Amino acid sequence: MSRVESIDVPARSLPARPVPGGPTLGGPVLGGSLPGADAGQEVPGEPLAARLAWRAWARLAGTRYAGYLLVAPTVLFLAAWFVWPVLTMVHLSLTARVVEGVTVEGFTLENYVRLYASDLYFRILMRTIRIALMTSLLAAAFAYPLAIAIARGGPALARLVTITILAPLLVNVVVRSYGWQTILNKTGALAWGLKLLGISNPPVLLYTEWAVLIACVHVYLPFMVMPIAGAIGRIDRSVEEAARVAGATRLAVLTRVILPLSLPGLAVGVSLVFSLSAAAYVTPQILGGNFSPLLGTLIEQQILTLNDWPFGAAIATLLIAMVLASNLIFLKLVSRRFARWTAGAH
Amino acid sequence: MNETVSLPLKIVVGVILLLVVAPLVVPLLMSVSDTPYIVFPPQGFTLKWYAEVLANPEARGSFLFSLELAAIVTVASLALGVPCAAGLTRYRVPGQDAVLGLILSPLIMPLIVTGVALLQLFALLGTRATMLQLVIGHTVVCLPYVIRSVSASLLLVNRNLEDAAAVLGAPPHIVATKVIWPQVRPGVLAGGIFCFIVSFDDYPISMWLADGNHFPVPLYLYTVIERSFDPSIAAIASLMIAFALLLVLVIEKVFGLSLARLAG
Repeated sequence: MSRVESIDVPARSLPARPVPGGPTLGGPVLGGSLPGADAGQEVPGEPLAARLAWRAWARLAGTRYAGYLLVAPTVLFLAAWFVWPVLTMVHLSLTARVVEGVTVEGFTLENYVRLYASDLYFRILMRTIRIALMTSLLAAAFAYPLAIAIARGGPALARLVTITILAPLLVNVVVRSYGWQTILNKTGALAWGLKLLGISNPPVLLYTEWAVLIACVHVYLPFMVMPIAGAIGRIDRSVEEAARVAGATRLAVLTRVILPLSLPGLAVGVSLVFSLSAAAYVTPQILGGNFSPLLGTLIEQQILTLNDWPFGAAIATLLIAMVLASNLIFLKLVSRRFARWTAGAH
Repeated sequence: MNETVSLPLKIVVGVILLLVVAPLVVPLLMSVSDTPYIVFPPQGFTLKWYAEVLANPEARGSFLFSLELAAIVTVASLALGVPCAAGLTRYRVPGQDAVLGLILSPLIMPLIVTGVALLQLFALLGTRATMLQLVIGHTVVCLPYVIRSVSASLLLVNRNLEDAAAVLGAPPHIVATKVIWPQVRPGVLAGGIFCFIVSFDDYPISMWLADGNHFPVPLYLYTVIERSFDPSIAAIASLMIAFALLLVLVIEKVFGLSLARLAG
């Protein structure tokens, strides 16, 4: 739809400007240097500099250097401000350690050993992995009904679900986490609701792992729904119909047709949600308080409060490793196995 | 079509959607509560919390600063990203896959890690230009969105129209502005809008790079949540939610872009 429209526009505006110099068949390379083309450039209000720039560009556009020139600024920018800092950080985590406030240089694995050796840090690491896994699991459970509604529902239902799922993405994470605080609070909406149901002394969830988990599922749900909806949308409807005709119940269609065939979407969703929730900072801070910090909070404490940069860098490096591992496990392994399952089907 | 979405499923979907909306609606209700603390259900009705927030110079300063930062980051990301997308889609660049991997890797990297790595580098370099650091940090994160969106629309450009225009005598800059640009515009617009939103909402990069004089809205909100408990926070939250809804409307109605496109 939008494609057709956007192609229509230039087609209508094409004959608008007759060019005095006649057709220039040379294409972009020659076009800029032909006198005929120059006449065509007499656009009122266009500054000389812009015209010169266009002409210089036109001469370059056909050559292979044009590609380099266009891509180079971004590549250099990311090399300087993304690759370099990350490498510096990984390097620091291996070459320095802080002993009683004094930085000792030299190759060391001490920062990494500390994460495992210290009971406190190890618990935080385990909690992070646990919450990230639980978030992925719960988000997947909530995502399937929504994804099916998007992929298989009528246009009105699909649109309603899509907008309701995606609109919260535009609301700041701090606000969304705060919203859960107002619900899970001692005087919040949940306690009020439970009291109505006759539960007089409801458990307070705020500042527990459960609060962090609930809010993480809410915040990262869209990243699970969209890939799964995409995967379900790609399943041939006739496969489901065939299963139904062959006598499968709705549940059987779900578990034996939709679920296995949407696995690539689930893998994308899980790897996204796992990575995002493992590195979450704002949500655990606002809902977990000081009682259930995750790795993100630990990095912040080590660097901004304790000034232990090498240890902070080591935790950050571990976080990168976790994200890469989840990508590898969920994306590479699943896609390979999936390709084997569906071999010959396509 | 209705046969595939059964009634029980519709009910489940309805309940989940209510849960999704709940944390956005409850602050709205609480923001009008005439009590000095947060309580549900809200008691009485007052707009004084809104008046308080709107009159607060700190809140206004943060809001204006975030707008400024997001605008600069959007311009910077478009300036870098649009040419890059053009180079990647319309020219053969050696090591194209490696370049693409590099461009998309800030999306995979945990934001908090990108932020701390940048802070460390800036500390190493000894710079104190906070604004520049924030712009750099946000641009690293926003670039992939711009490049992905613009590349997608560049790949859809109909090359025959360009050839036709050239044959009819249009010089290259006319081809670019009258033939290519109208086709690429939605992609650039979507990339720019998304970039603005990502920058405006960013917490994990700003938390490392900001300082007291350069204090974006998300950080401000967080400090308010930490230090006070009256419904004025709910009022700020409601204003932010209203702002987001306005954005949804603008994106869908004014620009005619679907929200799904931004998330994809």
